[in-house]
Amino acid sequence: MVVGDVTTGTEVLVIGAGPGGYVAAIRAAQEGLDTTLVEKDAYGGACLNRGCIPSKALITGSGLAHEAGNAEFMGVHADPAVDMGKMIEWKDGVVDRLTSGVEKLCKANGVNLIEGEASFVDEDTVRVAHGGEGQGSETLSFEHAVIATGSRPIQIPGFEFAEDHVWSSADALDADTVPDRLGVVGGGYIGMELATTYAKLGADVTVIEMLDDILDPYEDDVKRIVRKRAEELGVEFHFGEGASEWSEAPDGGYLLHTETEEGEESSYGVDKILVAVGRQPVTDGLGVGNAGIETDDRGFVETDDRTRTAVEGIHAVGDVAGDPMLAHAASNEGIVAAEVIAGEPAALDRQAVPAAVFTDPEIGTVGMTEAEADDAGFDPVVGEMPFNASGRAMTTGHTEGFVRIVADDETGFVLGGQIVGGEASELIAEVALAVEMGATLEDVAATVHTHPTLAEAVMEAAENARGQAIHTLNR
Amino acid sequence: MTIKEFKLPDVGEGVAEGELVSWLVAPGDRVKEDQPVAEVETDKALVEVPSSYDGVVEELFAEEGQMVPVGDVIISFRVDEEGAGDAETPDEESAGTESESAPSDGPAAESDAGQAEDGGADAEPDTPSGRTFAPPSARRLARELGVDVAAVDGSGPGGRVSEADVRAHAEGDAGSAGADDADAPEPRPAPTDTGSDGRKSAVSKRDADGSAASSGTAAAGPEPAGRETTLATPATRKVARDRGVDLDDVPTDETRDGEAFVTADRVRAYADALEAAESEPAEPAASDSNTTDPEPADPTPTGGATEATTASGDETVPYRGVRRTIGKQMERSKFTAPHVTHHDTAEVDSLVEAREELKPTAEAEDVKLTYMPFVMKAIVAGLKRHPYLNSELREDDEEIVLKGEYNLGIAVATDAGLMVPVVESVDEKGLFELAEEVNDLAARARERKLKPAEMKGGTFTITNFGAIGGEYATPIINYPETAILGLGAIEERPVVRDGEAVPAPTLPLSLSIDHRVVDGAIAAEFANTVMEHLENPLLLLNE
Repeated sequence: MVVGDVTTGTEVLVIGAGPGGYVAAIRAAQEGLDTTLVEKDAYGGACLNRGCIPSKALITGSGLAHEAGNAEFMGVHADPAVDMGKMIEWKDGVVDRLTSGVEKLCKANGVNLIEGEASFVDEDTVRVAHGGEGQGSETLSFEHAVIATGSRPIQIPGFEFAEDHVWSSADALDADTVPDRLGVVGGGYIGMELATTYAKLGADVTVIEMLDDILDPYEDDVKRIVRKRAEELGVEFHFGEGASEWSEAPDGGYLLHTETEEGEESSYGVDKILVAVGRQPVTDGLGVGNAGIETDDRGFVETDDRTRTAVEGIHAVGDVAGDPMLAHAASNEGIVAAEVIAGEPAALDRQAVPAAVFTDPEIGTVGMTEAEADDAGFDPVVGEMPFNASGRAMTTGHTEGFVRIVADDETGFVLGGQIVGGEASELIAEVALAVEMGATLEDVAATVHTHPTLAEAVMEAAENARGQAIHTLNR
Repeated sequence: MTIKEFKLPDVGEGVAEGELVSWLVAPGDRVKEDQPVAEVETDKALVEVPSSYDGVVEELFAEEGQMVPVGDVIISFRVDEEGAGDAETPDEESAGTESESAPSDGPAAESDAGQAEDGGADAEPDTPSGRTFAPPSARRLARELGVDVAAVDGSGPGGRVSEADVRAHAEGDAGSAGADDADAPEPRPAPTDTGSDGRKSAVSKRDADGSAASSGTAAAGPEPAGRETTLATPATRKVARDRGVDLDDVPTDETRDGEAFVTADRVRAYADALEAAESEPAEPAASDSNTTDPEPADPTPTGGATEATTASGDETVPYRGVRRTIGKQMERSKFTAPHVTHHDTAEVDSLVEAREELKPTAEAEDVKLTYMPFVMKAIVAGLKRHPYLNSELREDDEEIVLKGEYNLGIAVATDAGLMVPVVESVDEKGLFELAEEVNDLAARARERKLKPAEMKGGTFTITNFGAIGGEYATPIINYPETAILGLGAIEERPVVRDGEAVPAPTLPLSLSIDHRVVDGAIAAEFANTVMEHLENPLLLLNE
């Protein structure tokens, strides 16, 4: 406490204005609680500034360029040129509109906004250091706090993001030129999204992955389709190799050195190296220990199904609270946190959280796979509809992929679904709704779907699972 | 799986029964040992009753608002085997030893246990991995009603749980859904009022009396009249259409030309009652209560705090808990003991001085010295001289008991209502000791942390309304005591001394007596003694 320091009190203090934090703050304010939101960097968090939104903007831009240049089979001839600077400018405009929208929404809902870096003093006080020299700091006491500080990309030894040629995912989303050769370390969803994007923008992309395939959590046939398409786009894969170091190449550019578990070494010539090996929670500088909060061995704050930490009155939501590290999960958790604080009977009892990967083609998944359903003791029944049997898919020129729906044979309850193909990120919402509502295969199959749409494939997959498919051979 | 019963423990000295103010759990809820399961009100103390077991709540045997004798089984738990091991050493107050023998207590207990085991199987989710299929809206409702959604029998396809299922479960229909129940000859003993053998199940009464609700909310609403034809004006028919009410269902005793006639007001009242019943999940109705009563029940754990708004904009607040305890006590006192209130005013210059002189000494001993200990001592002087003020009339025995102890109750206003902690043996205690004790009891009364025993055994009560404002009042005797003294505020008021009106600190006194025991003259003499001691505090040295 410094001389002249005045402690301001707030009922709810939210730390971090990402999709978990700002949603928690707005809902808390809507619940009539005096709410203060502290953000040290930019409203919208990683999602709006360095993740979902900018990456989807670039994915769309690069996809459009690629589509236009590869539509001769439809009779469309074009040779699109990409002005990367302009594309980044457009992307930044989108981000600006969204982040300022978040700020306005917070204010319109009566959330007090403070810019600065919060750090716990004890279990009911934080100190907020304002950015910049001489900006000072202030103390806030709170009745309830929501930690929503998110996550940041993991660095690997020898590949410091500070280096000009070593990119984090955020750097890859801000680059105003396309490197000729891009080495991507990590074949997870961030690595794959950016690998496909840069491949479409004209880079020669090499993906280095320690495991023996890309997109570890997904089923083999899902991965295969995405990998095959990436290979068609010119992406080169090297599995079972880990990035060990980089060096300058004699011809200019850099060499990305890799090593297998057996010690075999390889080197790949690149101009930029994108390290995308995962994300870690942001708790450093937050002083969680001062509040009595312990983090697990990976640094995540542990919470219960009401987003409560072990310290009474302090909640944690979003990436900092661990898996699933997804913006929509964070927002859901933020709402629950605010409602629990307001004394409402909210809880995280969602049955499944859908996930989408914006590769080409997209992946959308929710709930259980067939194997998971089997492990869980269900008697799973599976229905599939390949997009090459979909009229709408054919008219888009993209017939790769399928819709798979997993249900319990005895009751017909939809347990999950995996979609790979065009608009999978949108289509999965229907399966998510079915899982959450406890809908049966019959419910999905008997719901009339618009024709001609890709969504019909969900209906057809449900029919297929019931042995009543019309447009495919029943399994 | 074993079923463990839990009896209302003896929560305080001499407490024979308690009002079950609210349930904090519902059937199907998982509870941990020591987790509070109910709030029980005994003699103005609200006591949380903890669970003795880790397990799942099987059945509730008392309703909110019901008076339960100590020793009656109020709840049963389904304890899994590991949990049963834990329960081998229940705390002494609990029904541990009794529960061990419960299954052999007789057919009633056996059928209970059998039913419970079947219920247990039902309550286990039918689907693997603990998954219960229910939409988010039903899940949220379950949380609101304190229902474990996994314990709800779903009526939808494949057993999907709907909101209606959750409501039905919350209202107590859950246990009746098991197929095995139908085979059971008589799952429950006929309800009687007392005794655990004949106990009533609060959650299965509708089944027991044969009026099982077919749908969750309808049971709580008004009973539809279900006539063939009903006469009404077109305007009334429009009201019925607008409110979604079937005219044939609207109760009426009016007739026109021999046919039932319904007015618009009756339609509105019926629609209001329906809506009220739908908007509030119904309390499990007692078999001896009127299940057609449209009065909405209060499902929330903190019954006394809940308010409901009626169609007219009036608010209704449940008459429960401390409020009702106070109310019943006041009613009994006022309508049993003929009250006479005697007023007088003590001139307390010397008392004020005496307190001022003693205050530094008190502070040195960390004691906050108020006037109350002086008044208590003065009262004891009065009671010793006029023992009938310190008495109790036992009507049945036709005798007046002159109490040998001087235990003074001090009425304390709290957020929840009046609490009367008792300072025992005031005659044996010094001023500072009394001050400390009064301060402690009052503080704990406001926090509702008094033990029931601390509010028992009073022989005379003091109510200090002057602390809030006012001079005189008519205190109601804390029955079965015989008298109560009300204190106004000590303030400077005009008094006549040597023929001149001068300001002096005065203390208004209001003494209510039970005129059956004490006459006005005795009351006045008692008041005089009290005043004498307050006006000459040195006399207190003799007390």
